Amino acid sequence: QNRAQDDPPPPPAQGAGQGGIQGQNIFDVKPEVKPDASSLPGYMEQNNAQRNRVQPGNNSPMWRGVQAGAEGYTSLPRSQAPEAGILIQEQVQYPGSRLTTAGEAWRQVRNNWILPYGGALLLIVLGAIAIFYFSKGAIETHGHTGRRIERFTPFERSAHWANAIAFVALAVSGIVMAFGKFFLLPIMGGTLFGWLTYALKNIHNFAGPLFAVSLAIVFFTFLRDNWPQRGDLKWLLKGGGLFGKAGHEPPSHRFNAGEKVVFWGGVFFLGIIVVASGLVLDKLIPNLVYERGTMQIAHMVHAVATVLMMCMFLGHIYLGTIGMRGAYSAMRTGYVDEAWAKEHHAYWYEDVQAGKIPAQRSKPAGLGADAVRTA
Amino acid sequence: MLLTKKPGSAQAGARSPFVHSLQRGLSHALPTMDRRAFLRRSGLGVGVGIAAGSLTLVKKARAAGGDGPAVGQGKIEVKRTVCSHCSVGCAIDAVVENGVWVRQEPVFDSPINLGAHCAKGAAIREHGHGEYRLRYPMKLVNGKYERISWDTALNEIAARLQELRKASGPDSVYWIGSSKHNNEQAYLMRKFVSFFGSNNCDHQARICHSTTVAGVANTWGYGAMTNSYNDMQNSKCALYIGSNAAEAHPVSLLHMLHSKESGCKMIVADPRFTRTAAKADEYVRIRSGSDIPFLFGVLYHVFKNGWEDKKYINDRVYGMEDVRKDVMAKWTPDKVEEACGVPEATVYKVAEMMAKNRPSTIVWCMGQTQHTIGNAMVRASCILQLALGNIGVSGGGANIFRGHDNVQGATDVGPNPDSLPGYYGVAEGSWRHFANAWGVEYDWIKGRFASAGMMTKPGITVSRWIDGVLETNDNIDQDPNLRAVVYWGHAPNSQTRGLEMKRAMDKLDLLVVVDPYPSATAAMAAMPGRPEDLNPNRAVYLLPAATQFETSGSVTASNRSIQWREKVIDPLWESRSDHMIMYQLADKLGFGKELVKNYKMQKIKGLDEPVPEDILREINKSVWTIGYTGQSPERLKAHMRNMHAFDVKTLKAKGGVKDKETGYDLTGDYFGLPWPCFGNPELKHPGSPNLYDTSKHVMDGGGNFRANFGVEREGKNLLAEDGSHSLGADITTGYPEFDHVLLKKLGWWGELTEAERAAAEGKNWKTDPSGGIIRVAMKNHGCHVFGNAKARAVVWNFPDAIPQHREPIYSTRPDLVAKYPTHDDKKAFWRLPTLYKTVQQKNVADKVHEKFPLILTSGRLVEYEGGGEETRANPWLAELQQEAFVEINPKAAAERGIRNGDRVWLHSPTGAKLDVQAMVTERVGPDTVWMPFHFSGRWQGADMLAYYPKGAAPVVRGEAVNTATTYGYDSVTMMQETKTTICNIEKAAA
Amino acid sequence: MARMKFICDSERCIECNGCVTACKNEHEVPWGVNRRRVVTLNDGVPGERSISVACMHCSDAPCMAVCPVNCFYRTDEGVVLHDKDTCIGCGYCSYACPFGAPQFPAAGTFGVRGKMDKCTFCAGGPEANGSQAEFEKYGRNRLAEGKLPACAEMCSTKALLAGDGDVVADIFRNRVLKRGKGAEVWGWGTAYGSRQAGQPQGGKS
Ligand SMILES: Nc1nc2c(c(=O)[nH]1)N[C@H]1C(S)=C(S)[C@@H](COP(=O)(O)OP(=O)(O)OC[C@H]3O[C@@H](n4cnc5c(=O)[nH]c(N)nc54)[C@H](O)[C@@H]3O)O[C@H]1N2
Ligand SMILES: Nc1nc2c(c(=O)[nH]1)N[C@H]1C(S)=C(S)[C@@H](COP(=O)(O)OP(=O)(O)OC[C@H]3O[C@@H](n4cnc5c(=O)[nH]c(N)nc54)[C@H](O)[C@@H]3O)O[C@H]1N2
Ligand code: HEM
Ligand code: HEM
Ligand code: SF4
Ligand code: SF4
Ligand code: SF4
Ligand code: SF4
Ligand code: SF4
Ligand SMILES: [Mo]
Repeated sequence: QNRAQDDPPPPPAQGAGQGGIQGQNIFDVKPEVKPDASSLPGYMEQNNAQRNRVQPGNNSPMWRGVQAGAEGYTSLPRSQAPEAGILIQEQVQYPGSRLTTAGEAWRQVRNNWILPYGGALLLIVLGAIAIFYFSKGAIETHGHTGRRIERFTPFERSAHWANAIAFVALAVSGIVMAFGKFFLLPIMGGTLFGWLTYALKNIHNFAGPLFAVSLAIVFFTFLRDNWPQRGDLKWLLKGGGLFGKAGHEPPSHRFNAGEKVVFWGGVFFLGIIVVASGLVLDKLIPNLVYERGTMQIAHMVHAVATVLMMCMFLGHIYLGTIGMRGAYSAMRTGYVDEAWAKEHHAYWYEDVQAGKIPAQRSKPAGLGADAVRTA
Repeated sequence: MLLTKKPGSAQAGARSPFVHSLQRGLSHALPTMDRRAFLRRSGLGVGVGIAAGSLTLVKKARAAGGDGPAVGQGKIEVKRTVCSHCSVGCAIDAVVENGVWVRQEPVFDSPINLGAHCAKGAAIREHGHGEYRLRYPMKLVNGKYERISWDTALNEIAARLQELRKASGPDSVYWIGSSKHNNEQAYLMRKFVSFFGSNNCDHQARICHSTTVAGVANTWGYGAMTNSYNDMQNSKCALYIGSNAAEAHPVSLLHMLHSKESGCKMIVADPRFTRTAAKADEYVRIRSGSDIPFLFGVLYHVFKNGWEDKKYINDRVYGMEDVRKDVMAKWTPDKVEEACGVPEATVYKVAEMMAKNRPSTIVWCMGQTQHTIGNAMVRASCILQLALGNIGVSGGGANIFRGHDNVQGATDVGPNPDSLPGYYGVAEGSWRHFANAWGVEYDWIKGRFASAGMMTKPGITVSRWIDGVLETNDNIDQDPNLRAVVYWGHAPNSQTRGLEMKRAMDKLDLLVVVDPYPSATAAMAAMPGRPEDLNPNRAVYLLPAATQFETSGSVTASNRSIQWREKVIDPLWESRSDHMIMYQLADKLGFGKELVKNYKMQKIKGLDEPVPEDILREINKSVWTIGYTGQSPERLKAHMRNMHAFDVKTLKAKGGVKDKETGYDLTGDYFGLPWPCFGNPELKHPGSPNLYDTSKHVMDGGGNFRANFGVEREGKNLLAEDGSHSLGADITTGYPEFDHVLLKKLGWWGELTEAERAAAEGKNWKTDPSGGIIRVAMKNHGCHVFGNAKARAVVWNFPDAIPQHREPIYSTRPDLVAKYPTHDDKKAFWRLPTLYKTVQQKNVADKVHEKFPLILTSGRLVEYEGGGEETRANPWLAELQQEAFVEINPKAAAERGIRNGDRVWLHSPTGAKLDVQAMVTERVGPDTVWMPFHFSGRWQGADMLAYYPKGAAPVVRGEAVNTATTYGYDSVTMMQETKTTICNIEKAAA
Repeated sequence: MARMKFICDSERCIECNGCVTACKNEHEVPWGVNRRRVVTLNDGVPGERSISVACMHCSDAPCMAVCPVNCFYRTDEGVVLHDKDTCIGCGYCSYACPFGAPQFPAAGTFGVRGKMDKCTFCAGGPEANGSQAEFEKYGRNRLAEGKLPACAEMCSTKALLAGDGDVVADIFRNRVLKRGKGAEVWGWGTAYGSRQAGQPQGGKS
């Protein structure tokens, strides 16, 4: 039973062999107390009743339990107050925290790691994009043919934009929740910031499930064309031509490997994590007991995953807006110029030209949704 | 950028009463620190003077219907009242603004509670909201309650009563009064029923401490707690047996725990490991119903080791030798262990703790009283204390914790079927005494009764009213069966045999419920029962009574201290005070004038109401027996205003404190003038803090045992031995009680004034209306008016003169039934045939213990009170206990596949089944289960919500344990057996 | 400056819930919100102890540190208060608090919780002392009235002490001295990061 000196529980002073009952209290003079009871076999395993028998008033076993998050009786119904019986949260050590009460550990993870490093990461990514943009500028498309290929059907576009809008709402609200107090609060003052964040928090809570649904739709909609294909590896190895001379992009299918990485890493992998953890935080998973521990873990997972997701999609958004000419209008209008297609998605362009993929997939307006789905 | 709270400006002289109270509570342990110092050190010295301003924050607290002036414009008053939930008697300051009760503050000065409250007291202000109260009179029409006017209600009820009275006589109506009533109302109730012409009235004390009152009074004189909660601070050892004070009398623990810190040992004997047991130095688990084996087991060791107080026994106790013989023969350690399950070593330890740490006190409550042998159990406790010489000693005594806030007072002066106020038995002399006090002719009262015989025959008890309805007419000892019942401040789910009660309720011609929360009775009456039981002519009325905060009056705490409640608010909605309703109903019944002859009337919301002070003065003038005569309203009010004057440990007022308003000098008074406070107020008897205490002069609250059983029996002296007397008494031998003859013999007659002599001629101290006999004996000669006698260890007029253990009627132990069988059946006992052996033997023959192998016992939760309708309608309390449950040991649960939180069915031999939640806990042993009894509103699995008057259903409803409880009544008082019966539990199919 | 603290003496607390309802009453706290609650350990067996717990007004309060909108503040007396106007009801304080003190009027899906409520040490909130607005949001401000918390003032056994840490520790220490046992000052280690109040190393939790 010799624990390392810096190993917190059980707290010091109850240990056997420490000569007496200091852990109990220093004033004890009562005759019924057996000061040397600590040398009894199994002293440390005694429960409170047993301890009270040899050392009345020595409640160390109980306090040890309290410290370890032991649950007591409370008349409040569990359904209404599941953790009312716990006096002090149990001790845990989350990655990056000390071993301490769960809440404090969570605080350490969140405040010492997630917020500073997450924030920093976001800033770095933003900065990197900015540098990239100012040093290399947008990726231009060379030439214009006037012939249009339908790149995204209206269905695809609406799914994407719903998703994108929800994402932005979530990201903005999430960022304000996480970081607002560092950059907004000092400018806005408590009350205004409170109202703003209150609104954003509610937006976040309701946009989350919306995002979850749209994300699923987006996932299945774009799943087929995001399967890894020939040439993806090459594309990746060449870094997408991003850092080489402009206009020398490696050929790709409808979506290039970079987009596929975003798709699988961002939409699929992080998406699932973010959505799942978000739904927990939103208390939307039925039959789950929403205890503090659950929420802490869900939160940490959510926060880490969302930061990564934001980083990823920052890149995506950059390329989808100012980073690459023509990409944005592709998603807005659905059509790209053949030149754009040829330059950025050579294999896809070839397939369209070869008639393997129709240049016009959606039926003109007025036709039913069925038609749209032929894609 | 953290905000910082702006510090306020100083409030000069503000005190922290909290610390003050701590100082009082910890009198010696605290370093002296005045309030100001505390405030300063607490950083509170800079508190802001918003005390008054803050009181305007009351919009939320506005009670219903409040259409007074806008909040914030009116005046703020502080009314001092007393918690209406239990007998501890915690004082409360109610802050009232414009007639709305907006806040409550602790009364740190109260020597009883020093500002402390349990959950109920701390939530008392909810009465001022009363969201779920009955708002107006209602009548049951076609299964639904409909609103009617007060006039209609009173007229119809009076007409019905007159009809029944004419057709079947006054004994056909049963009046259930209340120990929630204040003394004045309880007293008026007894007077009311007398004028109606009947002794058929009762109240909660019957099912609470009736066995205590009978047993204890027959042992040494008065049937009350001998000492006080405060006095327990002087104890060196306390045995709690059948009391769960931590939940039932929480604030009493304030004194006990303090005492414990000064070294007092605490023992708890209970079938259940209670919150009280958690604080004990020694916990003893006994089988429910086996208190006598345990107590006599303890006594065995006391005698065996010569620990008894021999001189005390010689001087002050009659019959201990007989008891000793009985105990030494019958209660050897093996028999004790067999009967109560406690091994010798533990019993010995308890005996040793009690004997070696004197003064030691005993505390008992419902665990002892609520048994078919409750009268014997409580006497066993008395005998133990007598053997140890603990009675009449500060720190000792029999600290019998009473129940309701005013159950003591209602027992003393209220509606009892066998006595008039002050325990004047229903004999002709008593009637004459009270006819005189009430200012009516004796013959007029007599004329109101069915016959002179019925006038002196004790009535039916509340525990048995259902049998008064259901029993065949030939078997009952009064002409008619009961045809009407008036529930006037009593719940139905507190009486046993719920299934039969439902049938009895359906058979009635008239059921009237007068209660702020009449809904439990209402729902039960409205719920469809067996069609053949329903009386087609039955009428059910609900009348909204005001609570004790909507009127004023006096209330007697467990320690016999009497406190005056100021009226806090006007009656809410259409409710009316009980004494107003009594007067109005009496008026309709034709004896209104007689009822209020001695009282002035006051207008409350435009209606006449007798002035409570005047009723108290009438009590002061008539209730000599137990000394309710010195407590004039003026003295009581002076005590309430000057609580700070009283010492917490002794309850005695420090010298030199004068009431500012009246100039009354409180010096020497004990707080609340604990009865007996003899003589008239002018005599200034200080009240009796500890009964039978010979170390004090009778005019300082001292005394000795009462001479109430003769002077001699079978050649043995019943009076105290020579030299044993109260301090400074002129008579140093034992002496009988005082009357005109004794006074004359002693040559003290001349000390009476002329007028006194005229009044006292032919009278004894109890009937002398002048109080002169008392004055002369006590003040002039230091003698106790009730004589100086021995306490009786043997009560020869009881079924078991020496307490005998008898197994409960429903027992899980046929082997013990064979050894300790119950009593023989009784034929006409409180007007009803009462069964003992018949039922017990049938149970053994039918082997019911095999089908129902678990002992079912019941009791209290701290949050709820009594039947619970009141407290379950208080959301602050209700939130804390939302489910009726049954405690079951893990072993018993495992055998039945039950896990904590499961729904279970509790089956009882009556055929009842309760749908409750299982609480699997070590609190009870494997042979016992326990249920709180505060629930109602579910009936054998069905929700009764639909049968409640609209809006008057409490927040929490649950299964009432008394739906399942069985037959069984005490052999002296008709106390119901609620603490030991049997049941089985099965897991409910999910 | 005085530093406000609670001590709950587990040798005295009898789980009577007086403190709980005193709080409800004084502040008109709605159903479902329990600023204070009582927990019994070793329920029903020898060694049973009860403890009343509310916000401990921690020295280095985790709730304060995680609040996204910084709505907590600490008074000169060490009382941890918060601003309901600013609170967004995110619940983070409740995840962080070791004592489970923060309460929410609702526990709905979509994270709907309403504004956080917790024990104020009967010191109100940022509104003007004793104002109607303060009462409606935070309950009474007893400290400003020169009174101590309602729960402690009404505690049935004086198990619960509230006030200047030094003073309550003194009271408690005297009690402990007298009875010679039960010296643990419950929760102080967690709340105040120290093991004060009367014994060298006894503050177990
Ligand atoms: N919170 C609350 N307080 C109350 C009341 C209330 O309703 N609620 N009611 C008031 C009233 S009216 C009364 S009378 C008092 C009652 O106060 P108590 O009598 O203290 O309360 P109970 O819980 O009825 O019973 C006390 C104990 O008796 C035990 N017991 C059961 N059977 C036996 C037995 O055979 N022998 C012994 N020795 N013990 C046994 C039970 O396990 C229980 O723990 O409380 C008063 N105070
Ligand atoms: N199984 C089981 N049964 C028991 C017990 C037990 O331990 N176990 N205990 C027994 C004991 S000790 C007792 S004392 C009884 C208690 O049982 P009851 O006294 O029947 O229960 P309460 O609910 O307190 O009933 C008091 C009624 O008076 C009403 N009331 C309050 N104030 C006033 C007022 O000013 N005027 C009027 N008119 N009405 C008012 C309340 O609303 C309530 O309806 O229960 C007994 N029954
Ligand atoms: C299904 C999708 C999502 C759901 C259900 C969801 C839900 C939540 C919830 C409930 C919270 C806790 C805050 C609160 O309770 O008010 C939260 C926090 C947060 N969410 Fe989401 N979210 C989702 C997606 C996202 C996405 C896509 C992002 C970012 C791109 C994001 C970023 C954040 C951030 C940054 C926080 C705050 C972390 C902090 O304050 O420490 N969330 N989210
Ligand atoms: C403001 C935010 C966004 C903008 C401006 C934006 C813009 C675009 C554009 C322009 C394209 C077309 C690229 C192409 O033609 O190859 C695109 C494709 C796509 N976007 Fe976004 N997007 C945004 C947010 C999102 C979000 C939040 C998600 C999902 C979490 C997402 C998922 C996709 C997917 C799945 C595609 C198809 C290509 C692929 O699979 O990589 N977008 N986006
Ligand atoms: S219920 Fe009893 S102990 Fe509790 S506050 Fe009222 S009088 Fe005091
Ligand atoms: S107890 Fe909880 S809510 Fe209170 S200050 Fe500490 S962390 Fe914050
Ligand atoms: S719930 Fe309110 S107080 Fe708690 S962390 Fe969130 S914003 Fe802050
Ligand atoms: S200090 Fe005040 S707010 Fe806090 S729990 Fe006690 S009564 Fe409630
Ligand atoms: S009022 Fe006191 S004794 Fe009762 S539960 Fe609260 S802290 Fe414990
Ligand atoms: Mo009672």
